[in-house]
Amino acid sequence: MSDLEIQAGLGRSPRTSPSHRFGVAEVLAGLFGLFLITAALFPALVAPGDPLGIDPLSAFQTPSPAHWFGTDESGRDIYTRVSHGTGSSLLIGTLATMIGLGLGLVLGTLAGMLGPVVDFTVNRFLEVLFAFPGLLLALLFILIFGPGVATATVAVGLATAPGYARIIRGQLILVRSSAFVEAATVLGRSPGRILVRHVLPNALAPLFVLGTLGIGQAIVWASALSYLGLGAAPPAAEWGAMLAAGRTYIGSAWWMSFFPGLFIVLTAVSATALGRGIERRMRHA
Amino acid sequence: MQTSGHTHRASRTLTGLVGLVATGILLTGCATTDSPEATEPVSGGTLTYASGDAEPTCLDPHVGGNYPQALVSTQYLESLVSRDADGTIIPWLADSWTESADGLSWDFTLAAGVTFTDGTPLDAEAVQANVAHLQDPNTGSSTGYLALGKVTGTEAVSGNVVRFVLSEPDSALLESLSQPWLAIESPTALARSQDENCASPVGTGPFQVEKWVQQESITLVRNDDYSSPPEDATHTGPAYLDSIVWRFIPDSASRYAALQSGDADVIDNAQPDTIAAAEKSDAIVHLDAPRPGASNRIELNSGRAPFDDPLVREAFIRSANVDDAVSSLFQGTAKRSYSALSSAETLAVSRPDLFDYDPQTAADLLDDAGWTERDSAGYRVKDGLRLTVDFPVSTNQSIPAEQSVFEQIQATAKETGFEVVLSPMDLSSWYTALGENDYDAVSAPYTKVGPDVLRILFHSDGITPAPSGYFANHAQVDDPAIDALLTEAGQVTDVDQRAALYTDAQNQVLEGFHILPLFDQQNHYLLGTDVVGARALPTVSTPTFYDAWLK
Repeated sequence: MSDLEIQAGLGRSPRTSPSHRFGVAEVLAGLFGLFLITAALFPALVAPGDPLGIDPLSAFQTPSPAHWFGTDESGRDIYTRVSHGTGSSLLIGTLATMIGLGLGLVLGTLAGMLGPVVDFTVNRFLEVLFAFPGLLLALLFILIFGPGVATATVAVGLATAPGYARIIRGQLILVRSSAFVEAATVLGRSPGRILVRHVLPNALAPLFVLGTLGIGQAIVWASALSYLGLGAAPPAAEWGAMLAAGRTYIGSAWWMSFFPGLFIVLTAVSATALGRGIERRMRHA
Repeated sequence: MQTSGHTHRASRTLTGLVGLVATGILLTGCATTDSPEATEPVSGGTLTYASGDAEPTCLDPHVGGNYPQALVSTQYLESLVSRDADGTIIPWLADSWTESADGLSWDFTLAAGVTFTDGTPLDAEAVQANVAHLQDPNTGSSTGYLALGKVTGTEAVSGNVVRFVLSEPDSALLESLSQPWLAIESPTALARSQDENCASPVGTGPFQVEKWVQQESITLVRNDDYSSPPEDATHTGPAYLDSIVWRFIPDSASRYAALQSGDADVIDNAQPDTIAAAEKSDAIVHLDAPRPGASNRIELNSGRAPFDDPLVREAFIRSANVDDAVSSLFQGTAKRSYSALSSAETLAVSRPDLFDYDPQTAADLLDDAGWTERDSAGYRVKDGLRLTVDFPVSTNQSIPAEQSVFEQIQATAKETGFEVVLSPMDLSSWYTALGENDYDAVSAPYTKVGPDVLRILFHSDGITPAPSGYFANHAQVDDPAIDALLTEAGQVTDVDQRAALYTDAQNQVLEGFHILPLFDQQNHYLLGTDVVGARALPTVSTPTFYDAWLK
């Protein structure tokens, strides 16, 4: 996703007639999202088996009615594992996005509200962070604090924070210079009250869209870290870790890596489609 | 680090391509003089070897002393003696040797006219310098240091006769000296700083280290003055190959792809599924060379809870369904072991009766040991503590199929109430975990020629770290009876007596449930059919390319 594009879209404030049309992509994405949320909250509903239960004698089975997505090297059912992995993937994605948004909010507010000196300092700091590709920043964090699910989540959150901070800062500056804020200032409202009552509510509504878009990206990144062996450890049912485990057998058992990979892609695509849909609706609302 | 793999892989591929083109040009040059079914060795060409083992941090196997070092150093370093396919010790850099009547001194007569690749002659003083180097704590040797544990000093009897003086008789001395970790290096080169010697060790071998680009490849070129092949080599004089490019491709699927595409001529650490595929292919030759010494086993740390209790150790072993794991994951390429020793060792004692998968007995044993309650997750609990087994796994030393075996053991042990925490980690983190006694179970290969490996692995002396910080007795077996048996077995020269003592010691180790044997230490090489004459050296099964040539 391009930050500029989102910023431009979010910056549009005039509200016009609402649109109630749903695109095909949005409907499909919504259905898939519903499946994911069900799988995350009640995994036993969509896949009653044990994601860690082994059955060595039925290892490496191709996809079949008995094993929809086939089985892995220890005879574990891939469909069960992918479904049960949804919870941790969504949780990592959501938490990482919240960390990123939270940090971005603090930095962005500092820069956008506290005058030119703070703005300059925070901006230079963000530019330094921007000099590193996001994933590299995450890797650096993991190098220092050690691999694991918790560190991978924080690492992805940290790595996405600078992008959010930029957007939030721009949004705040835009709102701050709007007519209604000027009016409030002229009316003698205190700066704190203006921030809480007028600026933040108007600047932060678009964060929801950002968050939805960000979750998809965060899941991809978290899976990438697990794939590299820096997130969830095997045999945990986590998409990135499953992808990595399947890599060894990619020549003989393609389904071991195909289905976890498919779910990562579909989740990221769905999150983006839904985010775009919400964005469009907000623009027209 | 894996994360930087993409750029390195690209540059490796490039190196491989350049090597391949060079090989192609040379082969075209040779082809005119040979019939299509060339059986006469031809000189020239570059062989590309792709290793799945960790890249050594030091190319001098005196320092530390692990298998990745042995693999590559076999090409440029040589030992005093070797071993033939029947297990008989044969001359190499030493022509002959004699043991004194009391077993406390050994005289080795060195081969005449051998020089190191830096021009230094091989003489008694050179051997002395090597022993001193191995025993110097600053060298940080573990494998070589432990193997020379009984050597108190050396003497130059004459220019080409060197005497080893021992504190007590050592029935394993020749076996120890045959290993690549005790190879003889140029004393001139050893006198340099350790960093320099690590980067370019100098030996008498058929190849020499030309350059080492870390995390990419080691380039070895032919030693044109080579004159010291072991007795079981098929030719004399210099090697046939011009050079060897030694690459590191940790990912097994990429390694096999490199072999299939011709980017690599030989790969090691082949996966069971690729071996199965390769056996059906006419373009690939499979060389199965199980390592000598210890079997591949899980060692249970009896130095701390919960495995300080023999009942819990036995319960863990009975709770692990290894047979099904081995048959499903290794697809017939590995056989289940019930022994502390490799099947390559004639004195190996196999005890299938001790390693039955029996969850009921396991549960009863845990009850007897006081782990009677279960928590909400189904794990056994005692005094508020969960029955947890910390199991650090070295991803450099355990192939994915082995790691999957551990996962299956984790799953079956869970049914009995063990929480097995598998922590995949790189080699240095793994060494750290062991050094800090932060493990309950571990699987570590230990390769050594002969049954004396039992002394290294199970004598209580092995709990004390070697100068490198590494200790080999991971099971932390501290049993005076076992110590006494192993000490005596290491001294007696009578073959039958030695066998009886080692048998007794193995039975005690197995009956103490200190280890869970899995299978032989797997060592599968896959070679393109253009490679002829390569073989595994019968000492520690490392490949040697002295006799190898490219069709």
